[in-house]
Amino acid sequence: MVNIVILVFVGGALGAMLREFTMLMVPNLVDNFPLDILVANLVATFLLGLVTALHRRQVVSEDAEMLVGTGIAGGLSTFSSFAYGAIVLMSASTAGAVVASFYVVISLVLGYIAVIVGLRRTRLSMNRSSAGKRRSWKQPFAFDM
Amino acid sequence: MTPLDVMWVGLGGGLGSLLRWLTGRVIGEHYHGDFPVGTFLINVSGAFAIGYLSVLFKVDWRDRYGTALNAGVLTGVLGGYTTFSSMQLDAVKLAGKRGGVPAASYLLLSVLVGQLAAALGGTLARAQG
Repeated sequence: MVNIVILVFVGGALGAMLREFTMLMVPNLVDNFPLDILVANLVATFLLGLVTALHRRQVVSEDAEMLVGTGIAGGLSTFSSFAYGAIVLMSASTAGAVVASFYVVISLVLGYIAVIVGLRRTRLSMNRSSAGKRRSWKQPFAFDM
Repeated sequence: MTPLDVMWVGLGGGLGSLLRWLTGRVIGEHYHGDFPVGTFLINVSGAFAIGYLSVLFKVDWRDRYGTALNAGVLTGVLGGYTTFSSMQLDAVKLAGKRGGVPAASYLLLSVLVGQLAAALGGTLARAQG
């Protein structure tokens, strides 16, 4: 329990600081499109998919999944800034409303794809290392949940 | 951006993430259905809080560091508390169990209710003046 508290705290702190650095590095677009938040959210969703799949395959421990998935990915991604940024943009102008709607849709679609890519990424690399298990190539959506 | 800002963001992000994990655990003990209620409630409450605090303290949505409030609380605690990644993983899991329509509905409902909560938070703060 104390162990998990430390893992989640440290991971969350790292993730949030990574998000802050992402905001500094990713340029603001002229139309106010929040590209920085989108980048942080997509990297985090990919990372969560990756560590979830690795944990399921027992490549990494539960502690590692806690640190990276719940901590780092959870701290790096944000829903509050995503939702609030969208409504501020939306209520600013008609052009803003168009940009905000595009932002929301593209975030949801790309985020969903990023999880799946993360989940599959491990499968592909594992298939390469263990020949003969290529079957799973053909059923990319057959997650064992 | 100063080292102090980074410290506030890290401290807030760690605390917010812990709060998310604890809240998810408590909700998970009481609810056992397929709909990801934990993440949903976490995200909606976090969106309400960011709307409320931003308007109350007149913080622009693009100002995310510089003071303990926007670095520590808005970027740190609320950013760490809410999660976009778990929402998407929940959606993929839901799609595996129940199909694409419930998964898409969950994502759209999260965004719509989250935006509504953020707007409501802002309205409440304005009403308080």
